[in-house]
Amino acid sequence: MWRGLWTLAAQAARGPRRLCTRRSSGAAAPGSGATIFALSSGQGRCGIAVIRTSGPSSGHALRILTAARDLPPARHASLRLLSDPRSGEPLDRALVLWFPGPRSFTGEDCVEFHVHGGPAVVSGVLQALGSVPGLRPAEAGEFTRRAFANGKLNLTEVEGLADLIHAETEAQRRQALRQLDGELGHLCRGWAETLTKALAHVEAYIDFGEDDNLEEGVLEQGGSTWWGRKTPISPQRLPSLSLFACLLSPTADIEVRALEVALGAHLRDARRGQRLRSGAHVVVTGPPNAGKSSLVNLLSRKPVSIVSPEPGTTRDVLETPVDLAGFPVLLSDTAGLREGVGPVEQEGVRRARERLEQADLILAMLDASDLASPSSCNFLATVVASVGAQSPSDSSQRLLLVLNKSDLLSPEGPGPRPDLPPHLLLSCLTGEGLDGLLEALRKELAAVCGDPSTGSPLLTRARHQHHLQGCLDALSHYKPSKDLALAAEALRVARGHLTRLTGGGGTEEILDIIFRDFCVGK
Amino acid sequence: MFYLRGCGRWVAASFTKQQFPLVRLSSDSAAPRTPHFDVIVIGGGHAGTEAATAAARCGSRTLLLTHRVDTIGQMSCNPSFGGIGKGHLMREVDALDGLCSRICDQSGVHYKVLNRRKGPAVWGLRAQIDRKLYKQNMQKEILNTPLLTVQEGAVEDLILTEPEPEHTGKCRVSGVVLVDGSTVYAESVILTTGTFLRGMIVIGLEMHPAGRLGDQPSIGLAQTLEKLGFVVGRLKTGTPPRIAKDSINFSILNKQTPDNPSVPFSFTNETVWIKPEDQLPCYLTYTNPRVDEIVLNNLHLNSHVKETTRGPRYCPSIESKVLRFPNRLHQVWLEPEGMDSDLIYPQGLSMTLPTELQEKMITCIRGLEKAKVIQPGYGVQYDYLDPRQITPSLETHLVQRLFFAGQINGTTGYEEAAAQGVIAGINASLRVSRKPPFVVSRTEGYIGVLIDDLTTLGTSEPYRMFTSRVEFRLSLRPDNADIRLTLRGYKDAGCVSQQRYERACWMKSSLEEGISVLKSIEFSSSKWKNLIPEVSISTSRSLPVRALDVLKYEEVDMDSLAKAVPEPLKKYTKCRELAERLKIEATYESVLFHQLQEIKGVQQDEALQLPKDIDYLTIRDVSLSHEVREKLHFSRPQTIGAASRIPGVTPAAIINLLRFVKTTQQRQAAMNESPKTDQCLRNADRLQERQL
Repeated sequence: MWRGLWTLAAQAARGPRRLCTRRSSGAAAPGSGATIFALSSGQGRCGIAVIRTSGPSSGHALRILTAARDLPPARHASLRLLSDPRSGEPLDRALVLWFPGPRSFTGEDCVEFHVHGGPAVVSGVLQALGSVPGLRPAEAGEFTRRAFANGKLNLTEVEGLADLIHAETEAQRRQALRQLDGELGHLCRGWAETLTKALAHVEAYIDFGEDDNLEEGVLEQGGSTWWGRKTPISPQRLPSLSLFACLLSPTADIEVRALEVALGAHLRDARRGQRLRSGAHVVVTGPPNAGKSSLVNLLSRKPVSIVSPEPGTTRDVLETPVDLAGFPVLLSDTAGLREGVGPVEQEGVRRARERLEQADLILAMLDASDLASPSSCNFLATVVASVGAQSPSDSSQRLLLVLNKSDLLSPEGPGPRPDLPPHLLLSCLTGEGLDGLLEALRKELAAVCGDPSTGSPLLTRARHQHHLQGCLDALSHYKPSKDLALAAEALRVARGHLTRLTGGGGTEEILDIIFRDFCVGK
Repeated sequence: MFYLRGCGRWVAASFTKQQFPLVRLSSDSAAPRTPHFDVIVIGGGHAGTEAATAAARCGSRTLLLTHRVDTIGQMSCNPSFGGIGKGHLMREVDALDGLCSRICDQSGVHYKVLNRRKGPAVWGLRAQIDRKLYKQNMQKEILNTPLLTVQEGAVEDLILTEPEPEHTGKCRVSGVVLVDGSTVYAESVILTTGTFLRGMIVIGLEMHPAGRLGDQPSIGLAQTLEKLGFVVGRLKTGTPPRIAKDSINFSILNKQTPDNPSVPFSFTNETVWIKPEDQLPCYLTYTNPRVDEIVLNNLHLNSHVKETTRGPRYCPSIESKVLRFPNRLHQVWLEPEGMDSDLIYPQGLSMTLPTELQEKMITCIRGLEKAKVIQPGYGVQYDYLDPRQITPSLETHLVQRLFFAGQINGTTGYEEAAAQGVIAGINASLRVSRKPPFVVSRTEGYIGVLIDDLTTLGTSEPYRMFTSRVEFRLSLRPDNADIRLTLRGYKDAGCVSQQRYERACWMKSSLEEGISVLKSIEFSSSKWKNLIPEVSISTSRSLPVRALDVLKYEEVDMDSLAKAVPEPLKKYTKCRELAERLKIEATYESVLFHQLQEIKGVQQDEALQLPKDIDYLTIRDVSLSHEVREKLHFSRPQTIGAASRIPGVTPAAIINLLRFVKTTQQRQAAMNESPKTDQCLRNADRLQERQL
């Protein structure tokens, strides 16, 4: 809902002059929606990455990145030097293709950038695109949805579309979870909370300040003494700036300013900030002592995890980047899933489950000689069954069931339980079955990495930057103004950007805070 | 005239303005002797009166059925109309030629615009209303509405017949049965029964069935609805005691005076009926720890507070305020009930304590030491119907041509009820004439937000309008409700008078002209500074500045601008309203320009209609999770836009729905080869494609 609004509120508050210049430049032809961009090639080692844009500002973006006055001939590959419009720094020599609408994939103006596949180049181009006014990272399935909306996909082609969009949404959700895991997520959620609260207070002041007797006593005890005042200090004696200050919470004001500083600092720092956790996320899970750590060590060919016969040896998530069958993989070893253990291990189990949520591929591990034990049964019933039960269209999460310790099974004895889902036998001790496992992994990883949506942390990062910048821009327009509706709009837009990263963001949240913090009513 | 069997008393069927209705009625006299109307409205509250008059304005012969004619237009709770968000709704009701705004302009005793300092987008028009005058004026208006007949009588049951095959719904309503067994037939029926469905009044530990103090509840009707399969919930609300005016010591209390000049609610009025100096003041006092003590010591005598039924969070009784925010002083506004009323309404003191304790509590409040309670406060618990069971035109999914409006849908407030009433009245009438429904979108008005929230999300507490619920708050303002709705109301609904329509057209074109003239005047900032010295414009800029941008500054208005540039701006200051509206348009111009793009995006999704007859639980060609199916089945969204707002409906589900709709249409088009229907379907498909 708020998409794009930031620019408007931003421009509103920027004042008339700026607005005129911007509009006369004709950069974004409004009316036909925003222009979106995304990385449309898969990850993994590839020579060329394809970045696509769609929307009315595509041509403008192409001209800006190639520093050219004219567009290249339509539907012809041309070699161009791409550079960052902000710094002028060259990014890559790339092939660019210009597809004016309606003869394009989505029916809108489209541009394809075929750039060299390294993360630095891709990241640079994505960021450069994000800095062009009117452009934003695509939402899940947005390219296909636009193509569909413009009648560019026939019904048979659309058959798979919903599945694709679901997969993209899911993959983006997992990708977002990963990126928000840790410090950045903590920051974002904190900021979103601050902003939601500040907005709730402004909204309360608008909706209830006069009508429903937002009560003074409540406000004072809530730590803010500002707006319930029926007789503010005479405005004549104050410059208009402080009139606002005495109307609006000094705390809300201070908090918004503090948030602005924090966001600005974070954005300046972002380039060397978070490590990119690229590659397919493969998580090894299972009941304690199934041999998960042994498998991780075996696959990474180095002693990543401590291995011992004692259940519950691994307590934290250990991740290691490995190359599996030619695909970049981030392999995570996790604590064995069990209930009723000490607090440290319990935290390990919680982290393991969290990691499981984010996995592209789950390696579910069981002890082949211990299939009847309660922990194995429980694991089969909860983790394996829940992922397995979902049809491929319901979840793009994949799972391989591996039965370890095949060396303990007697060769002539009965095989494992007949009711097991498809599985692989392996012995981490003897290495038997490893080839079969690697082959199965290769197939799964090819599927995961071949899908452009799954994994581009680069795009996720571009999204983060886009929304954080949008939030910052909007906040800078939360300004002393007599028109509180305008000030609230700036906060609404800013919050909209943050909640696109953290989730949530409905009106109910605001109302909940209002009714929790204030005694409104007649 | 008609002979109506049963006890129903004909109160009025006066046709003062035109002979036209008489002609229509007399042509009907050849019909069966049982009376037959186009639209029946059950209930004469704020929803019912608006619904009945709206249906009549749309040209339907309408019957308003109410328990007692003398309670039509009764304000059962607070003696005020409007407020923040609510004032917006009233402006929109007025834009559709509804009654309440005009009646309020004739009946108020204290007019005040709230949020004056917070920006015109959130101004809240509000007034204390004289209950007696409001009722009188409302009854006069109702009894003089052409095509509208009023009858006393309690409805016991609905007459149901076979459904129309081309619509969804398991049956169709074709009339009502009154308590005495008599019947009245109609093409559409609107239920606006407020708190009367199994209404229960609570004071202290006493409970007795009543829809309002002194009025019988509707029990038979509630049973009928439940039998039909409507999902029913229970809500509660309350009202404060009334105090004798002459027993209050006003001299020691804070006095609030009305605005000068008064701002009228209706677009058609330039001023209100009463001069500011003749209006009545309000007074402010506070509760104290003694009040808390009485509440806390007597919780065992207060069954309403103990009940688990959901009450509103924002309009709590004094008991819940004390419980949730202890040790605080709470405001009590003492509001006049009317010009010659002896009663004072203590806003903020809604309570359900036993009567003698109410008096005890009130007398420990400053200024009320000697106060006499004339009527005790009480609580009401009542049935409401989950509003996800109605469409945005307020027709029920289950029963064709049955409409619900007002508190029955889980809302609270006169204005919310009136807003739904207008929409239900219009649509009941359009349904009779087989015209497409009149739906206000979220992007067009607060009415749209209200109805969309209710029909897609439902509600678990009495729903009240807040401006914070509105995404496009800066676009949907009280000042421009006529531009947003009057033109549509005239063209699509036919509920707007010619005169009002012409006025709105004039205003629209004047505004557009004014804005383009203001855009065309450009001077350097230093020249502006010379022309209007008080403007805080920065002169360091070299680019020219438009007059519209100068008008954005707080300290500039059309008068000062016209003084600086008399030609061609002088003529825009002649109409005060026009000048004020130009100033507001300028204030928000830059934000609105972009908000419009957002609005277009939302409207695109809303143009994508979902077929009404999809059975979400059984359709096989579309892959939807069980959870999504259940949600869609219950809310039955009418557009892709509404579907996407239902929590839990995923983007993938939306695409699946789109695909399903398109395939079905193509299949139907292929199957129907007969020229006429084929043509129609092809048109529909073409339209669909263009929308896609």
